[in-house]
Amino acid sequence: MLSSIIWTPLVFGLIGLLVPKRLAPWVAVLGTVITLGLGIGVLAGFESGGGYQYVTDVSWIPGLGVDYSLAITGVSLVLVLLTAVAWIPATCFAALRGVERPALYYFMLLAGETATLGAFLSTDLLLFVLFFDLMIVPFYFLFGIWGRDRGGEDDPEGSPGRGPVSVQSATLKMIVFTLIGSLLMLVGAVAAAVTSADGGELSFSIADIAARGIPEGSQHWIFWCFAAAFLVKMPVFPLHGWMPDAYRAAPLPALAVFSAVLSKVGAYGFLEVVLTIMPEAGDLFQTTMIVLAIAAIIYGSSMAFTTTDLRLVLGFSSVAQLGFILAGIFALNESGANGAVLQMVNHGLVVVPAFLIVAMIAERTGSERIGPMGGLAKKAPVFAAIFLIVTMATLAIPASANFIGEFFILNGLFQIDAAWAIIASVGVALAAFYALRMYQLTMHNPLPEGSDSREISLRDALVVIPMVAIVVVLAFCPQLVLNESSEATDATVTAVQALTGAEAGQ
Amino acid sequence: MTATWAWLVLLFPLLGSLLIGTGFRVLPARAAGLIGVGAIVAAFVCGILALIGLQGEPSESRHVASSLWEYAAVGDFKIDLGIYVDPLSIFMVLVVTGVSSLIHIYSYSYMKSDQGYHRFFSYLNFFVFSMLVLVLAGNFVMLIVGWALVGFASYALISYWYRRNTATKAGMKAFVINVIGDIGLYIAAILIFKNLGSVDYGTVFEKAPEVFSTNEWEIVAICLCLLVGAFAKSAQMPFHTWLADAMEGPTPVSSLIHAATMVTAGVYLIARCHSLFELAPTAADVAAFVGLATLLIAGTIAIAVTDLKRIIAYSTMSQIGYMFVGVGIGAYSAGMFHLMTHAFFKALLFMAAGSIIAAMANMQDIDKMKGFRKAMPFTAAMLIIGALALSGFPGTSGWFSKDEIIDFAHFRGGMYDWMWIGMLVGAFMTAVYSFRIIFRILPGPACEEAEYLIEKGHVIHGEAKNPATGELEDTEVGYPGEEHHIAEQAGGMKFAMAVLGLLALIGGLVQIPGVTEVISKFLEPTFEDSVFAHMHPSTGEAWTGLLEGAVISIAGIATAWLLYVKRPDLPGAFRERFRPVYELCVNKWYGDEIVDFFVTNPVKAVGRFCNRIFERLFIDGATAGVAGITRSAGAAVRDLQSGLLRGYAVLMLFGILALAVYFLIRSI
Repeated sequence: MLSSIIWTPLVFGLIGLLVPKRLAPWVAVLGTVITLGLGIGVLAGFESGGGYQYVTDVSWIPGLGVDYSLAITGVSLVLVLLTAVAWIPATCFAALRGVERPALYYFMLLAGETATLGAFLSTDLLLFVLFFDLMIVPFYFLFGIWGRDRGGEDDPEGSPGRGPVSVQSATLKMIVFTLIGSLLMLVGAVAAAVTSADGGELSFSIADIAARGIPEGSQHWIFWCFAAAFLVKMPVFPLHGWMPDAYRAAPLPALAVFSAVLSKVGAYGFLEVVLTIMPEAGDLFQTTMIVLAIAAIIYGSSMAFTTTDLRLVLGFSSVAQLGFILAGIFALNESGANGAVLQMVNHGLVVVPAFLIVAMIAERTGSERIGPMGGLAKKAPVFAAIFLIVTMATLAIPASANFIGEFFILNGLFQIDAAWAIIASVGVALAAFYALRMYQLTMHNPLPEGSDSREISLRDALVVIPMVAIVVVLAFCPQLVLNESSEATDATVTAVQALTGAEAGQ
Repeated sequence: MTATWAWLVLLFPLLGSLLIGTGFRVLPARAAGLIGVGAIVAAFVCGILALIGLQGEPSESRHVASSLWEYAAVGDFKIDLGIYVDPLSIFMVLVVTGVSSLIHIYSYSYMKSDQGYHRFFSYLNFFVFSMLVLVLAGNFVMLIVGWALVGFASYALISYWYRRNTATKAGMKAFVINVIGDIGLYIAAILIFKNLGSVDYGTVFEKAPEVFSTNEWEIVAICLCLLVGAFAKSAQMPFHTWLADAMEGPTPVSSLIHAATMVTAGVYLIARCHSLFELAPTAADVAAFVGLATLLIAGTIAIAVTDLKRIIAYSTMSQIGYMFVGVGIGAYSAGMFHLMTHAFFKALLFMAAGSIIAAMANMQDIDKMKGFRKAMPFTAAMLIIGALALSGFPGTSGWFSKDEIIDFAHFRGGMYDWMWIGMLVGAFMTAVYSFRIIFRILPGPACEEAEYLIEKGHVIHGEAKNPATGELEDTEVGYPGEEHHIAEQAGGMKFAMAVLGLLALIGGLVQIPGVTEVISKFLEPTFEDSVFAHMHPSTGEAWTGLLEGAVISIAGIATAWLLYVKRPDLPGAFRERFRPVYELCVNKWYGDEIVDFFVTNPVKAVGRFCNRIFERLFIDGATAGVAGITRSAGAAVRDLQSGLLRGYAVLMLFGILALAVYFLIRSI
C-alpha cells in the first residue's frame, strides 16, 4: 500500500514521457489525484494510535543491514496527506497554463513527489537519507531548466536592492548547500548505525537504532550532522543563504510545493528521526536549537517586512514559520510538538495558494515587486477575498488552525521558560505586519497605471479555491489533524522525556 | 433550550455574512441589505428568547455552558468550541444585536449609493458574528478567537474605502495594535492553563480562589496580560492611537464598531473575569487608573481638535475610560449600564454627525460648519439629544449611568476619592466638548453647504476628496455617491435615529436608584460571587451623587455657551495665552510620536538592518563564499562541472527507477 503511494507519481511521470505532449499534463494531474486517493485510503484504514502501521519490510542490502522498509505513523500520515494535497493544485496550475517541454517538466515534478513521500514513509535510516537526497534532484532540474534570470531590484527607499540573479548561480548555491548537508547526514546515518550496533549486526532500521541506543558521546556530533541537513532544508537562519536566490529564480508552481512540503521534511526529520534515535542529544542541545529557532522567527519576520519581492516576503515568512515549528519540536513537550505538527500542515496548506496567487499577481502587474503595485482588488473582489483569507491564515489570526498551532507552540515554550514564549510572540505581531503589508500593497491603495485589475479566472479559481476551502474547514476544527497525529507525536516526545528525566515535561 | 437560542444568535449573522459575500453577483443590492438587516434582527430575537429561557431558571443556576465539538486538544489542554450563557453575556448579546440592528437599518439607506454595498454588509454582518463570539465564548481560547475576529472585521471596515492611502494605513495601525493586544490574551490564557489546568470559564473562575492567594504574582500577571488585550481593544492608553485614525471608515462603522460595541469589549472582559481581578486588586487598580488617565487626557484632546468625527472618537475613549474605572473599582453593573447607555447616545451622535458630514461634501472640520439647525432640524435635534445624554444632563440616560460609576468611587473612599474628583473634572470637560459641537455647528448663519441644502433640498455635489488629505479620489471604489442620503430624507435612517434618540433620553429610567434598578438586579447572578456584590451606596447617597452630576453637567454646558456663543473670542484668547497646553492637546499629547519613537521606528530600524546590512554582508557573503569555493575547486574542469552535476543527478534518478522496478517485481 505505502509502496504504491510512493511510486504512483513516478509511474505517471514516466507514462507522461511516453504519451503525446498535450496529454502529458493531464496524465500528471491524474497521477497526483490517484496518489491523494491512495492517501485517503490509508487514512481510512489507519487506526488512531501510536506505532508503525502498514509496515512493508523487504531486505534490500542484507550485508549492510539496509532494508526497504516503510511504515506510517500519525505524524507521517498527515504529512503524506499534505504532500498529496499540495501537489494537485501545483500540477493543475501548470497544466492549465502550459509549460515548455511539458513531458519532462511533469516527470520532474512527479519524481519530486515520489521522493518526498518516500522520505516521509521510510523507516530505514539509509532509505530515508536516500529519498531525502533524491528530493532535491528533480527540483534542481525544475529550477534550472524552467527558472528565469531576474534583474536587480531597487529598494523604494533608495538603498541598493538585491542584485540580479542568474538561474545558474541560484541553483548552484542551492545544490551546494544541500549536498553539504546531505553528505554530512549520510556520514551521520552510517555512524549512527555503526555506533548503535556496537560491533553486533549492522542495522539501519530507525526502530532498531533507537532501541539499541547510540552512545551519548557519539550522539553529540551525529546530531549536528543531521541538524545541518535539516536546517538547510527548512531553511533556518543562518543557513538560509541559498533561499533568496533560489526562490527568485524558481518557476512558481514548483516553488509552491517546494516551499510547502520539502521544508517540512526537515522539520519531520528533527521530530521523527533525530529525536527518536538521539534523545539525549536532543535534550542536550535543546536550548541551542530554541535559540536558533527564535532567531529564525525574529530574523525571518524582519526580512519579510522589509523586502519588496513578493516571493521573498513569502520565503522569509516561511523562515519565521519554520522557526516556530522548530521551536515547538524542541520544546520537547506534548504541547510544543503537537503544535509544531499542526503548524507543518497549516503552513503547507497556506503556502501553496499564496505562491500561486503571486503568479496571478505577476500576470496582472507584470512584476513581483510590491513597491509600485496596488489596488488590484478594484475589479477583482473574489481574487481579493481569496488572498485575504490566505493572508489572515498566514498571519495566524485566531480562528485559523494556524493560530492553534502557534498557540500550542507558545504554550510549549512557556513551559520551558516564559521568556522564550514572550520573545517568540514578537514574531506573532511582526507576522501581522508583514502579511498585511503584502496584502495592502498589492490589493489596496490606488491602482497605478499599467496594472490590470481583473477578476480571478475560472481555471485559477478551480485550482486555488479547494486549497482555501481546506484551510477554512481546518479553521473550524483543527482537531481533525490532531486526532490523527497527536498520539504518534506524544509517543516520540514522551520517549525523549522518559530517557532524559522529563525535566522538560509539564 | 437557552443554549440552542444562543447558538442561533451566532448562526444568523454568520449565515448573513456568507450569503451576502458569496452571492454578491446575483443578489440585488436591496436584497443584500435586507438579508443583512434581517440576519441581525433574527439574532436579536433569538437573544430575547435566550433571555426568556435564562430568566426561567432560579437565580443561582442562571448559567449554561454548551459546546458543539472539541476544537483542539493536546494532552490535558482541551479546547471546546463552546459558549457560556449567563446574564452578563445575554446582556451584551442584547446590547450588541439591538444597536447593530438599528445601525444596519441606518446603513441600508446611508450606504445606498456606495459601490461596495455587498461587501459592506457582508463585513458588517461578519463583525456582529465576531462580536457575538466574543461575548458568548465559553473559554479563553474562544474568547481570543472572537477577540481577533472583531479586530479583523474592524480592520476590514476601517480600510473599506481602500482607495484611500490614509484608510489602509489606519487599518494597518488598528490591526497591528490589536494583534499586540491579542498576544496579551495568548499569554494570559497560557498562564491560566498552567496554573488552573483549564481554560473553561466555569472551571477557571471556580478554581481561581482556591489556587491563588490575593495579589500572588501569577494572578497579577494573568490580569495584567488580560489588561493588555483590554486596553488595545478599548483604545485605552498607551494603546489608544488607532481609534482616532479608525474614523477613516464609513460613519455607520464608526458608530457600530468604534463607539457602541467593539471598543467596549475590554470592559466586558474585566467584568467577565471579575473573580480573577478581585484576586489581583493591584491589577484592578491599574485598570481603574489607566481608565482615569485616558478619560482625562482624551477629554482635553476632544476640546482642542476640530475634526467632527475625531472629537466624537476621543469622547468615546473618554467614556470607555469611565467604564474601565467602573469595572476596575468593582462597580460592575454600573460599568455595564454605562456601556449600554453609551452605546445608545454615541451611536446616535455618530449617525447625526455622518449626516452633517455628508451634507458638507465629506468635510469634517467643525470650523467650517454653521447653521445646521435650520438646514437639518431633525438631525440637529438628534445631535442635541446625544450631546445632552453624553454630558449627563439630568434625566437623560448618561446622567444615571455615569454618575453611578462616579458615586461608587466616592463610596469606596480612600484613594478612590481621587478618582472621584478626577471623574468629576472629566464630566465637566465632557459637557464642554459636547456642547462645543452643538454651539459651533447648529446656530448662526448657514454656511455655504447648509445654505445649499436649505435651497435645493439635497446635499451639495462636491468633488470626491479625501477629507484627511484633500486629494481627489477614485470614485469607482465605494464612493459614498452623489445621491448620498442624509437622515432628514431617508426613512430607515430617521427611524434608527429616532429609536436611539428615545433610548438615549429615557434609557436611564431602567436604573433609577431606589426605584427601578433593573440592570443591577438582572446582572446580580453573574456578580453574586463578587466581594462588592452587596456593597453599594445607599439610595440617599446615590441621589446626592446624581445631584452633583447634574450641577456639573449644567455648569459644563453653561461654560460651553459662554465660550462658544456669548464670548466666542475667549477660546482664541485662551489658545494664545496657553499656547503650549493647546499644542499638547491639539497634537493628541503626542501619542503617535511617542509610539513611533519607542516602538515603530526601532522595529523598522531592525528590519532595515537585517535586510540591508546583515543579510548582504554576512548571509550573502557567506553563501557566495561557499558556492565560490566549490566553483573554484572545479575551475579547471568548469565546463565539466555542471555536466558532472547533471550526470550525477540523472544517475540518481535512474537509481530510483531501477529500485522501483525491482520492488514492483518482488512484490508480485
